[in-house]
Amino acid sequence: MNAKQRIAAVVALQKPDRVPVAPLLDHYAATYSGYTNAEIMMEGDKRIDAVIKTATELGPWDMTFLADTANAVLLQMGVPMPIKLPGRDLPVNVTHQFHETEFLTPDDYSLLERKGMLRFMMDVMGRLKPEWKGLPGFIHLTKTFWEYRRHVKMVNSRGMEVAVGFVIPGVLYEYFSFGRGITAMSADTFKRKDVIISAGKVWAKGMANLAIFASRFCGVPRVFIGMARSSADFISRRNFETLCLPDLEYIINRLVEAGITPILHCDTNWTKFFDLFLRFPAHKCILELDGRSDIFKAKEILGEHMCIMGDVPATLLAMGTRDEVLAYCRRLIETVGKGGGFILSSGCSLPNNAKVENVRALYEAVQEWGWYS
Amino acid sequence: MDQNNGLSELGMAMAVLDEAGVETLVQKKLDKKIPPEQIVSELSAGITEVGERFRREEYFLSELIYSGEIFKNTMAKLQPLCKVSVDAKDKAVVVMGTVQGDIHDLGKNIVITLLECAGFSVVDIGVDAPAQRFVEAVVDSKASLVGMSMLLTTVFDAARDTVAAITQANLRDKVKIMIGGSVTNEDVRRDIGADYWGRDAAAAVDIAREVYP
Repeated sequence: MNAKQRIAAVVALQKPDRVPVAPLLDHYAATYSGYTNAEIMMEGDKRIDAVIKTATELGPWDMTFLADTANAVLLQMGVPMPIKLPGRDLPVNVTHQFHETEFLTPDDYSLLERKGMLRFMMDVMGRLKPEWKGLPGFIHLTKTFWEYRRHVKMVNSRGMEVAVGFVIPGVLYEYFSFGRGITAMSADTFKRKDVIISAGKVWAKGMANLAIFASRFCGVPRVFIGMARSSADFISRRNFETLCLPDLEYIINRLVEAGITPILHCDTNWTKFFDLFLRFPAHKCILELDGRSDIFKAKEILGEHMCIMGDVPATLLAMGTRDEVLAYCRRLIETVGKGGGFILSSGCSLPNNAKVENVRALYEAVQEWGWYS
Repeated sequence: MDQNNGLSELGMAMAVLDEAGVETLVQKKLDKKIPPEQIVSELSAGITEVGERFRREEYFLSELIYSGEIFKNTMAKLQPLCKVSVDAKDKAVVVMGTVQGDIHDLGKNIVITLLECAGFSVVDIGVDAPAQRFVEAVVDSKASLVGMSMLLTTVFDAARDTVAAITQANLRDKVKIMIGGSVTNEDVRRDIGADYWGRDAAAAVDIAREVYP
């Protein structure tokens, strides 16, 4: 099997020839390849060079991210809060960091409803970066899509799949949780339910349209959906079912109808909501876990419903030994990977200071224990 | 006092996150010349109930944070009217900060809300906090507990340096150190030289209660 067939097989919950490996690569590409973080965040050519070098030399991996979360343009598009960037606000080799403020206002819910998703997002980008207001913002966006498409071809030509063709920051509740800040959003959860629901529908429809377009344009039949601040760590099941789940289900169904595999990128702890994911289309989604959710419980509840991806913890990759990483990978392969439907990956991003031998161990683990025949 | 599960009407309004109800009831009590200290006491009972519901997993972080906002906003109105001010130095104090090199404040702020709801006084030294700022805060507040928050694996060295600075200042036997954040675990705690690792925000409260029995 080649990488494309292997990924297709695990999404369909069929048994591939071996467990595919696909760590979530962003800033670590700079560490490994010798570029600065500032360079890979701002310069596309260096970013793709770093991605290809890392994904081939430490694998080759079956699938790689294009360091989407280390792409300054995409970050500013997807996260409505001021960002401190290496080389500008921080030393060149430090990871970017978000500055949590109440950037979006309560009026932004109705503004979104009036303007529609895309015009609203461009408006927000213009507020974050005044030089991108209006036409320059669209030009940046267009350039980014073209660059992304070129990078996809470069990765595909080396026999690897690109993980995602577009990054959805999440349902409206997620996007506004970042833009309003968690304190204001917690109050909105109780005081502004109606407008979260009504604006959420506008957001979900616009975001699904944009994701389908971008995924097709870039030639990657998978889309990342960010999920972090609507988990059981943050909100009750009832609030998740009311404020988030309908929009999430709508986006997932639209993507699946368009032949696209949603990658549910679940940061924080989602274990208590796993059963709700059974309502998403079977054998069509990837559940990507960051180490906070119980991946073994995910296998029990969702193992016959969706592909599971994860979750070698960042701390283990940075501080553990190669043997410890190999042991954890083996456990994942032999339990979560039993019968197929599993992609070995890092729990969220590979940390900046991951040990090279630990990252390489993921590929070594699938070669050693990941073959099904 | 109207009783409701042991709470006054005001306490219950606080417990069920009825922001408008809290505001109205507080104003009515002030109009009736009820001592502000008594009003604070009823609010505190309500916020304690919020903490209990969180512990029982009936409430989640959003409920907790919202209740903290209602409480803080109401206290801002009541505090100037109180004859006896609440002095942090008389209470069980926890110094909280995000270690140098990391500007994430969400986890730290959640822990602070939880600690305050549980009745602790918190000295928040902010994010990207150098070791010396932790030391100065411990000296100034006479805190017996320090919390270090971190979300990046790259700041473990800074966390280790902070523990070393506290030791060099001859404070290590007077203060317990807890760490927390999504990249932390028991191994990290041992490596850094801290006393406690809090798996989540609620664990920080348990640790504080152990340090301040």
